[in-house]
Amino acid sequence: MFNNPKRAFFEAFFLALLIFIIGLLIGVSFEDSRLDKINEYYTLSEISLIDSVALNKISDLKNISCDELINYDLSFADKIYEEAALLERYEKSGKITNEMNIAHKRYDLLRTILWTNVIKTREKCSGSLNSVVYLYNYNNNDLTERAEQIVWSRILFDLKQKTGEKVILIPISIDNNITSLRLLVKEFKINKYPAVIINEKDILYDLTSVADIEKHLK
Amino acid sequence: MEALTIIYLVYAFVSLYFLFLFSLVYLQNKKQMLYCPKANKIYSLDMVVPCYNEEDTIEATVKSLLASDYKGLNNIYVVDDCSTDSSYEIIKKLAEKYNKVIALQTPKNIGKAAKAKNYGAKFAKSELIGFTDADSFPDKDAISKAIGFFNDEKVAGVTALILVKNRENVIERLQSLEYKVIAFTRRLLGFLEAIYVTPGPLAIYRKKIFTEIGGFDEKNVTEDIEITWNLVSKGYKVEMSMPSRILTVVPDNLKQWYRQRIRWNIGGIQTIKKYKSLFFKKGALGSFILPYFVLSWILGVVGLSILLYNFGKKIFVNYLSTIYSVEAQTAVLTLRDISLTPSVLSFYGIFLFILGLSFTIFVLSFLKEKNYKKEGILSLAGYTLFYLSVYPIILVASMYNYLKGRDIW
Repeated sequence: MFNNPKRAFFEAFFLALLIFIIGLLIGVSFEDSRLDKINEYYTLSEISLIDSVALNKISDLKNISCDELINYDLSFADKIYEEAALLERYEKSGKITNEMNIAHKRYDLLRTILWTNVIKTREKCSGSLNSVVYLYNYNNNDLTERAEQIVWSRILFDLKQKTGEKVILIPISIDNNITSLRLLVKEFKINKYPAVIINEKDILYDLTSVADIEKHLK
Repeated sequence: MEALTIIYLVYAFVSLYFLFLFSLVYLQNKKQMLYCPKANKIYSLDMVVPCYNEEDTIEATVKSLLASDYKGLNNIYVVDDCSTDSSYEIIKKLAEKYNKVIALQTPKNIGKAAKAKNYGAKFAKSELIGFTDADSFPDKDAISKAIGFFNDEKVAGVTALILVKNRENVIERLQSLEYKVIAFTRRLLGFLEAIYVTPGPLAIYRKKIFTEIGGFDEKNVTEDIEITWNLVSKGYKVEMSMPSRILTVVPDNLKQWYRQRIRWNIGGIQTIKKYKSLFFKKGALGSFILPYFVLSWILGVVGLSILLYNFGKKIFVNYLSTIYSVEAQTAVLTLRDISLTPSVLSFYGIFLFILGLSFTIFVLSFLKEKNYKKEGILSLAGYTLFYLSVYPIILVASMYNYLKGRDIW
């Protein structure tokens, strides 16, 4: 017979606890390594954005071509769009820590600045620059709205694939409590989300086809 | 952290705990796994076989008992519960042919195994009383190897190694695997004095104590669980004799299997309810068996509910997004929708799966049999990936049936 049955219960408990804690720590460091990767991208993106903003300011003093300004904004928007896709995948698979949410907020801030930069660029260059700003709720408990957002993402992805460098696509979550974004959006008098703002003129609320969106582009 | 993640982590911890508990108990007692003490004397033993519509197996069951090498076996009381097939005719013929066999029939169909067993037990006059289901076949030495445990005055019941006889189709093979794992872990629980069931295929009790506790609880549909808890709650010991092998017939189709599992679980609920006052009290029953049962219920029901809720939400969102996608003339499914980024929980799951699988493989190698084919990889995969996942569904269905007042024998 077992010498002391109670001992086995305790030994198993402490052993399980030890392995469990080690597992949790590995889990946290695993998710942190993903966050580090995102942060690394973010730092580079931040540098690019500041560069872009600086470029816009310099253009007031020096004669910088509109093509150069637009191309810079475009390539930057595309870059952070890809990073956002990676961030989204990591967010979905992040279970232990919630630091990805903070990274998401930082990216939203970055995209808000990009949007203001694009507005300025458009003021200077009346060419064929198109901006499509997609505003959505990040924490959404309404299932119908969530389904709508999924479809909006697909439509806008298709649009970007089709139009390529003609369109700057900027998805921003609206419920991240970013003051500058709130003030920026206020003037558009948006009454519900998700909403798509095209060239700061047209606002779409209802799901529509890529072809219909294209009609709003320059 | 999401609620489902917390539930998942609790599951992971509980699984880890039991894996470590069983591994530690095995490592510290591996030399005694097959231990069966030699009996100090020849204890007199009567066997009771309850029978209802078992014309295909009853003769073989009785003959396997008659073939037992145990010298103290006196009478075999075969209790027919007014079968509608030819069971009773077969029993009477056996009684005519063999002196030890006594044919009994209940005055009317009583429809409960516990009642039929208690009915037969009234006729037994020996020191020990054993019960065998009418579709189970103890090996020649199964009884003799179990008797020695009764040398210890505190031992009130002894159970044995129950394995599956019919292993033809998938559901039978999966149950065969399950029975082996259950038998192995039951032996380990024996070292912790925490055996929670003395199953119907073969259980032997000290007659005096059996009578003292009033026999089987006739209101309980799993009288074999209830009597064990009853014995343990009164401070008696229950042992398991690993070398005592019994083969039993298991359900050969899903419907029967489902009914059996519902019955077992309803019996489990009835027993928990009856002994709830002993929670965290009275030795192994209050401190381990009861919490173990209740915890598996809670984890099963809560986990399944949250899983179904999330799954339902996902289905609804996917349904809506498909409709919207069609309306907006965009792709219904894109590559981006398929997440290929594994989460930490996926790695935990794989780790636990490997641990569980290793444990199962170890059990199978420990209990390998000469007369049967080794379990294949497909059976092993089916058992670990699908069969075990159905348990929580059965738990919830049993709870529903219990609350609806459905009684299944």
